[in-house]
Amino acid sequence: MIALRMGAGWLAAWMVAAPAATVSSGRAAIRFEEIGARASARMIHHTRRFHGPKADILEMFTSGGAAVAVGDYDNDGYDDLFVTDSDAGRTCHLLHNNGDLTFTDVTAEAGVGKGNDEHSIVSDALWFDYDNDGRLDLLVARFGTPILYHNEGNGKFRDVTAQSGLNKFGNTIAVIAFDYDNDGYLDLLFGNYFKPVDLFALKDPHVLPNNLDQATNGGGVTLWHNQGNGTFVDVTEKAGLGKHTGWTLDVGHADFDNDGWQDIYLADDYGTDRLFLNNRDGTFRDVTEEAIGIDTKKGMNVDVADYDRDGWLDIYVTNITDEYMQECNMLWHNNGVDAAGKLTFTDLSRETGTCSTLWGWGAKFGDFDNDGWVDLFAANGLRSAGDKNYIPVLLEMIITPNVDFTDVNSWPAIGDMSWSGHERKKLFRNLGGSAFKEIAHEAGVDNDLDGRGVAVADFDNDGLLDLYETNANQPSLLYHNVTAEHGHWLELKLVGTRSNRDAIGARVTVKAGGALLIREVNGGNGYASQSSTRVHVGLGAATHVDELEVRWPSGRREKVPPGSLPVDHIYYLKEGAGVVTAAAAGFGRGMALRHGGAP
Amino acid sequence: MRPAPSPGAAFEAGRQSLAAGELPAALEHMEAALAADPDSLRYASEYRHAVIRAGAYDRALDFFAKLVADHPGAAFAWLNYGYVYVDKMPSAGAITQVILANDALQQFTRSIELKASWIALYTRGNSYLYWPKIFGRGPLAVADLERAVAISKSEPQRAYQAHAYAALGEAYWRTDQPERARATWEEGARLFPHDAVLEALLSRQGDDLEAYVADQVDRTKRVDTDLRELWEDR
Repeated sequence: MIALRMGAGWLAAWMVAAPAATVSSGRAAIRFEEIGARASARMIHHTRRFHGPKADILEMFTSGGAAVAVGDYDNDGYDDLFVTDSDAGRTCHLLHNNGDLTFTDVTAEAGVGKGNDEHSIVSDALWFDYDNDGRLDLLVARFGTPILYHNEGNGKFRDVTAQSGLNKFGNTIAVIAFDYDNDGYLDLLFGNYFKPVDLFALKDPHVLPNNLDQATNGGGVTLWHNQGNGTFVDVTEKAGLGKHTGWTLDVGHADFDNDGWQDIYLADDYGTDRLFLNNRDGTFRDVTEEAIGIDTKKGMNVDVADYDRDGWLDIYVTNITDEYMQECNMLWHNNGVDAAGKLTFTDLSRETGTCSTLWGWGAKFGDFDNDGWVDLFAANGLRSAGDKNYIPVLLEMIITPNVDFTDVNSWPAIGDMSWSGHERKKLFRNLGGSAFKEIAHEAGVDNDLDGRGVAVADFDNDGLLDLYETNANQPSLLYHNVTAEHGHWLELKLVGTRSNRDAIGARVTVKAGGALLIREVNGGNGYASQSSTRVHVGLGAATHVDELEVRWPSGRREKVPPGSLPVDHIYYLKEGAGVVTAAAAGFGRGMALRHGGAP
Repeated sequence: MRPAPSPGAAFEAGRQSLAAGELPAALEHMEAALAADPDSLRYASEYRHAVIRAGAYDRALDFFAKLVADHPGAAFAWLNYGYVYVDKMPSAGAITQVILANDALQQFTRSIELKASWIALYTRGNSYLYWPKIFGRGPLAVADLERAVAISKSEPQRAYQAHAYAALGEAYWRTDQPERARATWEEGARLFPHDAVLEALLSRQGDDLEAYVADQVDRTKRVDTDLRELWEDR
């Protein structure tokens, strides 16, 4: 064929997509109802305003800070919300879950609203019990230095940042907690977007990406080791993560090679994502090239689940797939470890129908109809403003010969223009592990706000996973899951004793109805959001659990006796003690009242 | 002093090296052939084929930059210079691809300024079709492809000329002129009744046609820049 013509790839694409419709027939509908205002959980986010001639460029590059963290800070058995704001003087919000699908803003009493000062922008948040005292503490990540609040146990928090050692300036956009050395204390991994410069007092305007596909001048990551005495120490270099200088947008952890140690995936904007495997000696090794290859995409999100139930944890990364850029997301199917000990992944986003979520942001797995297969909800949309589109204006800059992308002054003003705005959210229903069907409209979640974070939690303890979506410069949304026909379920709150108390990194393996289901407790996977650490397992038609095993981060393995866990209940599992009452696990009212708790 | 081999001999040596998998030698021989005959579409096309196999895009860009500097009036050297940018695109990220596509357009334009040939107009017009609609290149595609079709009408008929009818119809389609699109494809089909693409375009309607047209310029696939039809189709 002569110059510049294409082949017939469309036929192959159709053949891959075709089976989905067949598999989907006959399934009941997943439905959500947006109740944010009614629940007093609708918070309006404000992006940071900058001043000066290139203010809107810096505002755009820092517009990712609409975040949400889910955690039961008062141990009443209901997951609460911490929702960030980002503009100067704006306060973040701690929303106490009243247990009846309403929330009460307790920010002032708790003392956790601050963070947006003249040199700092709140960008993310994380609940984690850093001192294993049984109460969730709160970390607020910033473009700036972080803030660590200790939970005092009386609804109040105390700023312990100074004594914690978390004093390093960074332009942090993501943070997760996990125990990388399995010493029983939760460590912290920060994903940093810009290199560590004060964006409000730029001495040099060359702070933007040095390449829009393979940038190497970002902030990388920072790994903080929890010393177990209330202090943290920066071990980034020592752990082998210091060479990473990408524009990190999200960080995720899981045991990808099933060796009992937590590994790391870094999603990088403007370039190559990175996969680091845990060497089990306090260090990591970069296996990117052999495991996933070198990409040039705009990585935005890392979430982890075993979507095809093969016993290996897979990864979902969002990128940009829009009219002007066809990157496609990445659904990294974990191929497992081969005979030579090599771990590999294959991107199956096209094959499974999860390739396009437009301008992607946070995306989360969750079994929203309890059919035993994890589904996937994805937020999207960068900037919804006026009718004029910024992309053609930006193009002129991009194709200008010898333009310096790093220079803030090279970028054209955006003014009131939109950029990948008004995008409809995507909900992918898992059709049996090999294909997904997009059902956001039917499910009632296809809003067109500028999404950022997505948290998944069962806010009313009814066994159905709900969604909380944050939106940049716009109100957040709370989607209550009202799916009428759904499968059986089980929820497990794990409490570590030798392991970290939040049990982050614990793996639950459930056998039920002939299916093998694995879940891992994670400490904040997914862009700008932390989901519930309570493990949720959809069981489909199975009316009992045949086997349930917990592999704790300490290495201990515990099996729960068959028949001891009737379905459709919430349980507490304490390391070394098995199924216990809520009180014995250190929790109060709530779960036991509604669902009977432990038998 | 030994006389330099003729362009034909150097080209043949390059082909033999390529067939033997000796890529560095193939590139060297073919560069020698092109240096002696910079306007040869055939030498350049085969050279780029070797470049793609070797992944030696930057070398080829350097080579063509020097070639057009040495021979600024060689219209097809400029054209092939542009093709190298297109050939390099699959190895680049999405935004770098935009930059490469724009660089290619600049070389195609220089070629047309020197000689408004069918192949150069068809190439640039077709390149515009790869740009998303939001960038407003559709009318530019129409203009170039109309000129390419007009040129083909004044030249002896060749099967490859059907491509310009297909592309011009697609340009009309993308600029919301569906009637003109279909009329162009029908005209092309009358002249080239066995052309598979024209047949496929005319057999489709609505969304099916839209998808087919979109697939013709799918930016996720390598663009075929092999020019051999020009001399094999006689």
